[in-house]
Amino acid sequence: MRPSDRSYAESHEWAKLNGDIVLVGITDFAVEQLGELVYLDLPKPGRVLRKGESFGEVESVKAVSDLYAPADGEIVEVNSALSDDLDTLQTDPFGGGWLIKLRIKAPAQALSGLLDAKSYEQRVAAAH
Amino acid sequence: MSSPPLSPGASLLHTPLHAAHAARGAKLVPFAGWSMPLDYGSILKEARAVRSSAGIFDVSHMARFWFRGPDAAAELDRALGGATADQPVGKARYNLLLNERGTILDDLITYRTGPSEYFMVVNASNRERDRATLAARMQTTRLTDVTEDGGGILALQGPDSRQLLEQLSGQSGFCPRFLDLAQLPTPDLGPLFVARTGYTGEHGYELFVTPSQIQPVWERLLAAGAVAVGLGARDVLRLEAALPLYGHEIHEGVQPFEAGLGFAMKGWQTRDFVGAAALRAMPPSSRQLVGLRAEQRPPREGYPVLCAGQPVGLVCSGVWSAWLDQPIATAYVRSDAQGELSVDARGKNVPVQRVPLPFVSHRSRE
Repeated sequence: MRPSDRSYAESHEWAKLNGDIVLVGITDFAVEQLGELVYLDLPKPGRVLRKGESFGEVESVKAVSDLYAPADGEIVEVNSALSDDLDTLQTDPFGGGWLIKLRIKAPAQALSGLLDAKSYEQRVAAAH
Repeated sequence: MSSPPLSPGASLLHTPLHAAHAARGAKLVPFAGWSMPLDYGSILKEARAVRSSAGIFDVSHMARFWFRGPDAAAELDRALGGATADQPVGKARYNLLLNERGTILDDLITYRTGPSEYFMVVNASNRERDRATLAARMQTTRLTDVTEDGGGILALQGPDSRQLLEQLSGQSGFCPRFLDLAQLPTPDLGPLFVARTGYTGEHGYELFVTPSQIQPVWERLLAAGAVAVGLGARDVLRLEAALPLYGHEIHEGVQPFEAGLGFAMKGWQTRDFVGAAALRAMPPSSRQLVGLRAEQRPPREGYPVLCAGQPVGLVCSGVWSAWLDQPIATAYVRSDAQGELSVDARGKNVPVQRVPLPFVSHRSRE
């Protein structure tokens, strides 16, 4: 079972709300599908994202994939050490492999439209 | 990230080893209508194992044809870009299937098994088109498609592969030369039909196994120490060795010479074959296939190649090289492009270095 303290996007990002900050990463399923990672491109703090907007790219041996913002918000912090430590993203995508922190305006509605852990689980099972 | 495609499961073909791959934990993906192992855990480790010891690949998705009849030699010679009439019995030869315009429909290997008999392996993705094209070019020669006969192809590649085959056979002194066909005796499985061919640039063999041989041969070679290798590593290895892949370096928009495949066009200036007239009338190509190395991120298929900010080409294939531990790519680049190159990686300018092909030297003749 994946962590139930956060919400999930169909595009395999997760979002964890804490006050007016949303921590964003990609799921273990995303990492497994990509395979061995070779490159990560993350944005700089200060950029304002719209939900669904691409904020970076992750590349594996085989493929390159966009990273999509799960909510509207301003990037306040980036896990900049991760680009040189892709192992952490590969092995701990729900913890040390977080990607960015977003400051959001209306926390109550920020993550509406995303899936809970159980629904995400079902989507992933159907994709297998 | 982008959503993975839902697998259309039921409609995919399975090789006889499909259940064995699943049991080994393979990541099975749709490929050219087949469900095939992409990897068994690590593309990079599998690719390195082939260059340092030996790897075994199930490539039973590749299409297998037989050509039989008294005119097979002459008819194939007219049907293919390179000569087959002078191909010795017991030898394999790399060849191209061309259209009337002299561009590439497929690349393939012919194996001459007798004076009036050839075996041929073509790309899975082109199986139907190749079969129809070749059948239309035969007069009296019989073409039989045996791809789904329950047997298959196992590629054993890497410096330890000869020793593993001797172990399987229980006999020493097995030493076919590059492109030789051979029969390898076994204690209890009958003789194996083996060719010293491959798609990795390493010393290696392709085993054309019968329905009763495929499972035990696969299992015994793994038990003897061969590493199971998926299609992901196969792509890395073939690109390191700069061996072309249909749909990337070669396709109907490419002629043999710009792809660096003139060597496969044996006798093209004088022979009569489909595409000959077009090839002989063709002006020299204004572009060539080049190797690119990058620092961090692999140039990917379709990325524009730039020289002084101007587009001068397109990337064909790009991967992370397991052996060189850096990104490599092939691209068609205008022959008159002088100076530093870069690629447009989804809007970002990434410097690349032009390097000679192959990226990793071939050891297939050693």
